[in-house]
Amino acid sequence: MNAAQPSGEAEQATGSAQQAAGAQQGCGAPAGGVAVTAGASGEAIIEGHVTRNGTPPTAGYARLLNDGGDFVAEVPLGEDGGFRFFAAPGTWTVRVLAPGGVTADETVTADYGRRTALEVSI
Amino acid sequence: MSRSDVLVDADWVENHLDDPGVVLVEVDEDTTAYDKGHIRNAIKLDWKQDLQDPVRRDFVDRHGFEQLLSERGISNDDTVVLYGGNNNWFAAYAYWYFRLYGHRNVKLLDGGRKKWELESREMVTAVPQRPRTSYQASEQDSSLRAMRDEVVDSIGKRNLVDVRSPDEFTGKLLAPAHLPQEQAQRAGHIPTAKNVPWSKAANDDGTFKSDDALRALYEGEAGLDFGKDTIAYCRIGERSAHTWFVLHELLGQPHVKNYDGSWTEYGSLVGVPIELGEAR
Repeated sequence: MNAAQPSGEAEQATGSAQQAAGAQQGCGAPAGGVAVTAGASGEAIIEGHVTRNGTPPTAGYARLLNDGGDFVAEVPLGEDGGFRFFAAPGTWTVRVLAPGGVTADETVTADYGRRTALEVSI
Repeated sequence: MSRSDVLVDADWVENHLDDPGVVLVEVDEDTTAYDKGHIRNAIKLDWKQDLQDPVRRDFVDRHGFEQLLSERGISNDDTVVLYGGNNNWFAAYAYWYFRLYGHRNVKLLDGGRKKWELESREMVTAVPQRPRTSYQASEQDSSLRAMRDEVVDSIGKRNLVDVRSPDEFTGKLLAPAHLPQEQAQRAGHIPTAKNVPWSKAANDDGTFKSDDALRALYEGEAGLDFGKDTIAYCRIGERSAHTWFVLHELLGQPHVKNYDGSWTEYGSLVGVPIELGEAR
């Protein structure tokens, strides 16, 4: 996964992101921690919701790790327990952190043009 | 300077959040997080609206920083305790600003907002009112900030630490994966840079690892030469502020600069060398 990438792939990611980004200029996280715009077909999106006894936890975080176990990104869960990542093709782990020392790991695969959805119950 | 001078834990904050000389400041990547709940008596700084020049790509200048802190009721003698989301990325960035402009007593809350939240500590929505002050900032301390020409000139000479994730370093991603993939024209890293992701300096709960573990990480595992000067960079300078904090404030390395232009600048420069793939 960490091997050198041909520039074409990076450019593909750039182009699709620019089409999708719209108002998401600059570098700040999206309001609420969960990106709201995810319309481009060229992105490798991993998204989902976390619930505890059927409802979103009062606080929690979703962390994305690559297949080497390295940290890639982390977002606070939205009010609906939602999270979203813009990844790349490959295998990834989503780790949920919640109060009480709760953690849950889910392994997923992502690809460009596909939306990988997860429902995580903790 | 030691760890206890620059870092406080959540219990310390709970015991001091009513002290008159202590100002808690939340700085978040998600600038709406504060509005939904924050530590009691904490004020908010918006890393973009408050800390960036609205026109040029640069910081607020000295006068702007003075106006900002005066208006928010922070005085030169206050102990400023910064905390934020995403493992203190932007709180560390603000910490670096406070140091750049010469604030004497500034600390980070270890673990930031995440650890506070995950421990179910008190969060409120009430916004404190602080009387206006007359803050006096120093000239920007250029020994803490690297600009692009200095970075290009440092290739092969100084320690260059790329603190982005391995996938950004190799060129697979252009931004952290919670953001749309945007920004620099080219992917990759600065030649001779070592990739030490900022996250390796932190535990899962966002707290910093021990000094011994940090030394082993940078000197041992990554092979940094602590006898040389160091420049840290990431994408826009906030994660590298986190690593700057580790190297300069926790480990006491004397000559460490943060390159806040980072990859969004370097990866768009015409004619500079770039490497793809693993470090060579």
